Amino acid sequence: MAYTLTRATDAVATENSRYPLNERRRVEDPMKQQVHRNVFTGKLEEVLNSAVNWGRKNSLWPYNFGLSCCYVEMTTAFTAPHDIARFGAEVIRASPRQADFMVIAGTCFLKMAPVIQQLYDQMLEPKWVISMGSCANSGGMYDIYSVVQGVDKFLPVDVYVPGCPPRPEAFLQGLQLLQDSIQEERRPLSWVVGDQGVYRAEMPSQREKNREWRIQATELRTPDSI
Amino acid sequence: MSVATPPPDTPTTRHDAVVEALKRRFGEQGVREQATLTGWPVLWVAREALTEVLGFLRDKSQAFEMLYDLSAIDERLRSHRRDLPDADFTVFYHLMSLSRNRDVILKVALGETDLSLPSVASIYPNANWYEREVWDMFGITFEGHPHLTRILMPPTWNGHPLRKDHHARATEFDPYTLTVVGQDKEQQALKFDPEHWGMRRKHDDSEFMFLNLGPNHPSAHGAFRIVLQLDGEEIIDCVPDIGYHHRGAEKMAERQSWHSFIPYTDRIDYTGGVMNNLPYVLAVEKLAGIQVTERAATIRVMLAEMFRITSHLLFLGTYLQDLGAMTPVFFTFTDRQKGYEVIEAITGFRMHPAWYRIGGVAHDLPRGWEKLVQGFLDWMPKRLREYERAMMENAIVRERTRHVAAHTTTEALAWGITGPNLRATGFDFDLRKQRPYSGYENFDFEIPVGSNGDAFDRGQLRIDEMRQSLRIIQQCVDHMPAGDYKADHPLTTPPPRERMLQHIETLITHFLQVSWGPVLKPNESLQMIEATKGINGYYLTSDGNTMSYRTRIRTPSFPHLQHIPALMRGGFVPDLIAHLGSIDFVMADVDR
Repeated sequence: MAYTLTRATDAVATENSRYPLNERRRVEDPMKQQVHRNVFTGKLEEVLNSAVNWGRKNSLWPYNFGLSCCYVEMTTAFTAPHDIARFGAEVIRASPRQADFMVIAGTCFLKMAPVIQQLYDQMLEPKWVISMGSCANSGGMYDIYSVVQGVDKFLPVDVYVPGCPPRPEAFLQGLQLLQDSIQEERRPLSWVVGDQGVYRAEMPSQREKNREWRIQATELRTPDSI
Repeated sequence: MSVATPPPDTPTTRHDAVVEALKRRFGEQGVREQATLTGWPVLWVAREALTEVLGFLRDKSQAFEMLYDLSAIDERLRSHRRDLPDADFTVFYHLMSLSRNRDVILKVALGETDLSLPSVASIYPNANWYEREVWDMFGITFEGHPHLTRILMPPTWNGHPLRKDHHARATEFDPYTLTVVGQDKEQQALKFDPEHWGMRRKHDDSEFMFLNLGPNHPSAHGAFRIVLQLDGEEIIDCVPDIGYHHRGAEKMAERQSWHSFIPYTDRIDYTGGVMNNLPYVLAVEKLAGIQVTERAATIRVMLAEMFRITSHLLFLGTYLQDLGAMTPVFFTFTDRQKGYEVIEAITGFRMHPAWYRIGGVAHDLPRGWEKLVQGFLDWMPKRLREYERAMMENAIVRERTRHVAAHTTTEALAWGITGPNLRATGFDFDLRKQRPYSGYENFDFEIPVGSNGDAFDRGQLRIDEMRQSLRIIQQCVDHMPAGDYKADHPLTTPPPRERMLQHIETLITHFLQVSWGPVLKPNESLQMIEATKGINGYYLTSDGNTMSYRTRIRTPSFPHLQHIPALMRGGFVPDLIAHLGSIDFVMADVDR
């Protein structure tokens, strides 16, 4: 599996640096390197990594951040019928400093973009971003003067959830995809242990993965009956 | 029987009363009539006479208590302007007399070289934000305006987006980038400067605290910012700051066909779903001269009322959550889910079905819909009773909301407050009764009104409104008319498919109408409806094209937010939160 590597030390910003600041490099799985091939330390690190990641992915605290329509569907996922608590992500935080991930739920407006960047900067590592809905993914149906054409123009996005707005179930699926990707991550186990880079796994594209069975649908349900 | 005809309550004699009074006062030359499909007199007046005319109409003898809308049109590219005064830009004032149930629209012509008008904020206080919006979007200045600055666009923006020479698409600009220095500059520009707003930083013995609430705050319901000037807990003054949710829907309408703009209307009041389609398609149908079938009109009413209920449920949950009650939101969202099961089965989508069409609806009701809707109707009443018992009769909720942020009917009318927030003051005005559209006159329902105009009444009223909506839906289920779901009219879009298959001519017209869209005759039309949050209206100007020349979307939440400072001065911070919860606004309904 391929990984992208970012290092905190790369993010030395000058005035004209563009967001996102971190330089991203494509690398091989760090655990495959020669030094980890030792049966004892290699296994230990793998076990530690997966234990830490398991903890992280099952207690993701979302930031209470909403922009427009998608936020209503996101909130719906938090309430009883969909119950996001099943995935350990119900502890919604009003402060970015206490949150683990941010859902860009709605249209990213030109006037709002610097505010979003500021809020993202206030979140502490490790942090992730889910882009929810067509507007946040690409501007969607709003190719208009006041809308940024996709939040990834300035934020590093981990998961894109399509839809306008996506159903709550789609948001929950996006959350689970984020959890899967967190499970594969390699982050420093301590500030004195090992490599200080953040290695994020390049997860397989859902579109390619599902194409095979999706194109097998030949008949769609008629809208004539419920 | 025709159902969706323009409101029959506008006999010409009443028009003439206003026009005649104006002509008597200002002379035949002073007032020039324009024939439109708006259903109300549209009168051109001279810039010099504007203040006087508005003052005259505002006065008791004419009783136009409310400035319903104020906006402008860039006329420079308009080709069909026969019999209209020369103008590069037109500013229009839509006045409403709720006590006499009549409207009048005034227009003022402006030349490109002299884009200025006297401000009318001293006559109608809610003109303040509307004039700022016109300045922001068109670059027309208003002399004597207390604070003419940008309202929707960022303070660093150049140009006026609704001018015809301003580009519409983001992809016509360079791709967006955010640099470290740019981020800093934008954030500095958003910084609040009290002196700029004529505020003092301290009084005799103590300093004021300036609290920045938003643009992302859990109780601000989206991207809304309000800066508070505080003396302890007391709000001395506050300044709402909007524009963080401006999606340029009005500009968008100028490049989408009449048909393909429908999905954008869904996203104006995004909790209102197809309710937003209604004023738009009704206004287009007026331009096209389409009368929809009884069945289509009844289906529209049923779905619109379904969305009124889901929107009010969202309101109820978040309103009580803002007051500190955690549980209600879980209950109301469970009910919303039940509502969406019905909506999804009928329209195929949850929040934004975009399901109404010019001349009808997208498809017929599915088999078995009655049972589904009936299930929802049986489920809701006991839940509403439960909400009342558990929440509205709860001592803490009552203490937090009774006599909090209360206002009178006179104040509400002066600030352009409509919908449940107006009815909470005890004033009975609902367009479904006063100016029935889409066949509401055939239904048996009541208009609940409050008495104190406080945060509690605004909450309770919506529970009562949901009951009435259930009553309307029940009548739809019991008496759904048979017939077609689309009007048999050449401009119905998309046209009925059976008509396409006859010969090459029908095929060609079908193809043109689906690809380019229908062409509507040059004219102007207007439709106002009682939407979930107040009166929502579309003012369409057609220039004989497949697209609208100008679409003005008047939304209820815009004036509701403008009213906050006048209401909250002297109040406390927790009261402000209770008030914000009780207004029921979404930012897309403010900034569009």
